[in-house]
Amino acid sequence: MSRGTSYRLANGGAIDRSRPLSFSFDGHDYTGFAGDTLASALLANGVRLVARSFKYHRPRGILSAGSEEPNALVELRAGARREPNTRATTAELYDGLDALSQNRWPSLAFDILAVNSLASPIFVAGFYYKTFMWPAAFWEKLYEPMIRRAAGLGRAADAPDPDTYEKVTAFCDVLVVGGGPAGLTAARAAARSGARVVLADESFALGGRLLAERRTIDQMSGVEWCSSMTNELAAYDNVRLLPRTTVFGAYDSGTYGAVERVSDHVAVPPDGTPRQRLWRIVAKRTIVTAGATERPIVFGNNDRPGVMLAGAVRTYINRFGVAPGRRTVVFANNDDGCATIADLAAAGIDVAALVDTRSATPRHIADLAARLGVRAINGVITDVEGRHGVKRARIRTTDGASLVVDCDLVAVSGGWNPNIQMTTHLNGKPRWNDAISAFTPGDLPKGMSVAGAAAGEFSLTACLAQGTRAGAAAAAATGFDAEPIDVPTTGDEHVAISAFWHVEGSRHKALVDFQNDVTAADVALAEREGFRSVEHLKRYTTLGMATDQGRTANVNALAILAKLTGKSIPETGMTTARPPFTPVALGAFAGHHRGHDFKPSRLPPSYDWTREQGGILVETGLWMRPAYFPRAGERDWLDTVKREVETVRRKVGICDVSTLGKIDVQGPDSIALIERLYMNGMTTLKVGRARYGVMLREDGMVMDDGTVARLGEHHYFITTTTANAAKVYQHMQLARQWLWPELDVELASATEQWAQYAVAGPRSRDLLSSIVDPVFDIRDATFPYLAAAELTCCGGVKARLYRLSFSGELAYEIAVPARYGDALWRRLVDDAHALGGCAYGSEALGVMRIEKGHVSGPELNGTTTPSDIGLGSMASKKKDYIGRVLGGRLGLTDAERPTLVGFKPLDRAKRLRAGAHFIARNAEATAANDEGYMTSAAFSPSLGHWIGLGLLRRGPQRLGEVVRAFDPLRNEDNLVEVVSPVFIDPEGARLRA
Amino acid sequence: MRLACPCCGERSLDEFTFLGDASVTRPDPSADDAAGAFHAYAYLRRNAAGPSDELWFHNTGCHAWLVVTRDTRTHEILGVRLAQDVALARTGNRKDVRETSA
Amino acid sequence: MPEAMLIETTPFARNKPIAVPGLVVAYRDGVTVASIAAYREKAVALSDLIEATYGVALPAPGRRVSSNAITLQWSGPGQWLAIAERGQRGGAVRDLEAELKPIVAGLAAVVDQSDARGIVAISGTRALNVLAKGVPIDLHERAFATGDVANTHASHIAITIARLDDTPTFELTMYRSYATSFTDWLRSATAEFVHTQPR
Repeated sequence: MSRGTSYRLANGGAIDRSRPLSFSFDGHDYTGFAGDTLASALLANGVRLVARSFKYHRPRGILSAGSEEPNALVELRAGARREPNTRATTAELYDGLDALSQNRWPSLAFDILAVNSLASPIFVAGFYYKTFMWPAAFWEKLYEPMIRRAAGLGRAADAPDPDTYEKVTAFCDVLVVGGGPAGLTAARAAARSGARVVLADESFALGGRLLAERRTIDQMSGVEWCSSMTNELAAYDNVRLLPRTTVFGAYDSGTYGAVERVSDHVAVPPDGTPRQRLWRIVAKRTIVTAGATERPIVFGNNDRPGVMLAGAVRTYINRFGVAPGRRTVVFANNDDGCATIADLAAAGIDVAALVDTRSATPRHIADLAARLGVRAINGVITDVEGRHGVKRARIRTTDGASLVVDCDLVAVSGGWNPNIQMTTHLNGKPRWNDAISAFTPGDLPKGMSVAGAAAGEFSLTACLAQGTRAGAAAAAATGFDAEPIDVPTTGDEHVAISAFWHVEGSRHKALVDFQNDVTAADVALAEREGFRSVEHLKRYTTLGMATDQGRTANVNALAILAKLTGKSIPETGMTTARPPFTPVALGAFAGHHRGHDFKPSRLPPSYDWTREQGGILVETGLWMRPAYFPRAGERDWLDTVKREVETVRRKVGICDVSTLGKIDVQGPDSIALIERLYMNGMTTLKVGRARYGVMLREDGMVMDDGTVARLGEHHYFITTTTANAAKVYQHMQLARQWLWPELDVELASATEQWAQYAVAGPRSRDLLSSIVDPVFDIRDATFPYLAAAELTCCGGVKARLYRLSFSGELAYEIAVPARYGDALWRRLVDDAHALGGCAYGSEALGVMRIEKGHVSGPELNGTTTPSDIGLGSMASKKKDYIGRVLGGRLGLTDAERPTLVGFKPLDRAKRLRAGAHFIARNAEATAANDEGYMTSAAFSPSLGHWIGLGLLRRGPQRLGEVVRAFDPLRNEDNLVEVVSPVFIDPEGARLRA
Repeated sequence: MRLACPCCGERSLDEFTFLGDASVTRPDPSADDAAGAFHAYAYLRRNAAGPSDELWFHNTGCHAWLVVTRDTRTHEILGVRLAQDVALARTGNRKDVRETSA
Repeated sequence: MPEAMLIETTPFARNKPIAVPGLVVAYRDGVTVASIAAYREKAVALSDLIEATYGVALPAPGRRVSSNAITLQWSGPGQWLAIAERGQRGGAVRDLEAELKPIVAGLAAVVDQSDARGIVAISGTRALNVLAKGVPIDLHERAFATGDVANTHASHIAITIARLDDTPTFELTMYRSYATSFTDWLRSATAEFVHTQPR
């Protein structure tokens, strides 16, 4: 059911009157038509009060008809799709649209926080900085929640967004930003040459201002011409039209960001269709034809519902067939007033007066006014009356007379600002143009040109000509012949302006920035308090910092500031516009990458089996590694890990270590490169043997550890830790390509080629003897600790076997081509079970390496030297290697440095925690007394209590000492005994068994 | 930002990994002043406002290390060369023949 | 001898086929792949030897060539991937690493990559629209012709992509462990096309 009187005009407009659409606003039901925006449909239904302002909760109506709208911000949709701060002026109407006004309580018409307006002396510029200073404790509990409730930004949805978003990359020769007359002609000229063209426009229909004005081009109405242009462009294979798409940012090297509102015009996106699509457009040439934005004039109560930009008034009449009011006063400083009164009169809307700020009204306007019976006044509107909607305008004529005119609509035009944002995103400085009293583009980024209103050319004739020429030039610059060019013709028009910004002397608030509630008085106050730089003014008053980027505010504020400081506007300057031009949903930036798909996952060969068993996976970098494999009856992860460790130590276990980085090194200079990369000597490594190795950074810190196996005369195979695989590969390539380019050595990543499993425990050789083909002898005598071989298994499958141990047990690593990984894993699991063994995960592996005192990620943390972690004696003294020179610095060889030792709790029942800090037994727990920290801790099933590894000042000299392990985060304070870091089998008898 | 990899052509920044200054070279570790020279090599940077040579790795491309000459004020890319070619030229080695003549 | 050979698992074994009008997604299994990296100043001799053996020379940067016996794909400075079907007529099995090593000994490093890669061919009128959602390079025929190859990424997964024909058909090669994440992305990128026919 429709409420209120209809303001829909009897005919006209590019709306489809055969397709009525129902929608609701603040719980009331209304009807609009296909082709409406929410704003035009609200106006058609006589709804004028649509919002409350941000700070003072002032009643607000619809100011504009585009994305610059600072007032008519609503919550669109409900539930999980609720979207705050949506501009009603760009929201396309759809059947069932549900919108709520925001920033009001309990209702739009009666808003309690409108008392803020009464208290406005304290809400002036800088009030946050002045008011909520003291006491500090009040900030979190009182001030912030209060401000958040009062400051109206709408409510985000409480539930996850049910829609999908995607990101697309597009390439073109010519990108055209904006589909008005200049953009359409530019796109056509470029398209006809064969260049690849992308044309993007914010609206759902191409045409820009032409859709809103009564103009004729090439003997067609503006709307007909637009649709004929659109049809021609749509027919080209080399053109991509992107309506409903905002180009929001210009980035380096001809890259542009754009967001396409794929499904914002329907209630729910069709199955499989994204809600929005983020475009990354890489363009060889870009033509900015983004048009211009009209400025209001600053006067008293200029933000009341019913004060509307004159261009928007024409848009609602001509494009949407809506009368934005019944009786109008037009207020302008330029020739735009002419078209406005003509269109109002043509639509049958009363024009009570045309108020022109210029002392002499141009002849053609005076004539038109006379013909239409419109009273032409030279003067200004000082203020308007009517709280929830304009009722009358107070006018002061040039010769000093005052008069009051009844009206419900004030159509205001302070001139037009070219939309130059795209030209400034890369630091381009705009230039002031006195002729149009506006900033025009200055130096442009490489590959960019500007045409039409965006370039400050406001006549349609100029837009069509400039657009065509810009399109042809851009195409030619990318190697396409765009001759002959074909410029559409249209009639002449007047576009003169005389700068006028601010009607002084009203006792009412005169708004400069509508969205952030910044008044002319605030600008003056800021100036008085010394914030005279435009950048200071912006931050002090928050002017231009709302989601509309101050598009209707900035130049007016500059003009007011310029007058106060006695400078010119260009001397006063302009703040820098940054992307995004209009707000972009975070969902669009995320695209596919959210939740489960936040980043890609790498699945190891045992993944499927692990999932079947209910095994727990842990993320290590991108890898999903099996962490542990719970069994029925086990109470928690600790139970499981304990069982896995005990099984390995007593029988045998298998663990997927395929995620370790593997790099194949070949070439005559292989060993030369390897010697420079590892701190320990490798030249003596024989074919068929492997060796543990440590790589340092050039600053002397440990970078990574792993193994080097020699498979041939000039063939080595190295492993890295899972987490550092990519880093080490890059580092090795840097060494090969940049540090020592003369070395003849080739690297190939082979991580993914091999499924590799650790087989560990006293029965590991028994297990492998049924896997490795019998022609290969793997007895200890022929295949001792640190042996490496290429052999076959399971009946001829290519395999590699290494006798390596991280657990400290008799252990091997067997590798097969990854396609056999799943099958070999299942076979090993079955055979292990037969021997009383089991699969173990990274948790059990972690426990066993701590028991063995082997360092891992927590110790190789980028701040430890080899000596710090007990590996100092490994470093070769016979060669240079990366990290040697700087590793010898005094600070890094200081005997006082915290060094790796083991820890046992004095009370064996206590749990140890990584992160606890060591403090001498009787010392106070202060930072000054800090002597290091626990890097790793685990419950040792072999010892039956918790153990830890840690870095303790002079640790190895303090074995037997008792220190405090103090953990203020968890509020724990344990006494621990300093012990050797090797808790199990210090002689290494097991691994050599 | 887009970098024109000499092997792969122009690619978006997200294919590359930045390392740092390419104007420093690893000093002679056997020189008498090696400690001081390595300190400068590891830590001291010009940080020029203007054209700078930088090392970038074409991570999801050809795995070549590149010397990118970038104007740090404007992000304008003034040149991209294979690091190996730059390094060989620096050490007086003749340019490697890595491509087929085809 | 122990019992029979282990059963193979293909990289995309856990991923259901993707069926979308205007798009054919085919997983390519059963290939033997080897990386070839020329030693210093050996690239010309290597290429001559390869050409004498297989009838095609090593391709220039960014290109891929095929003969009946082998496909050679540029992969980096002085580096190529050799690809061939593993299974041969008469039941023989080809292993390019084993085949190439003796041929190019002293000229290049050869490393088996047969199991390191997942390969998928994406073909059809909608291929460009789908790939644009993840692949950040220009795949338009003017920029990426048949026989062109590029290393890049698809939705943050490193890939090598080659244009095989003007259908168009693209062959994407990625590290094996990413196969499932790649398919997840491909499924979401094709979702909007499931219910509609291409124009």
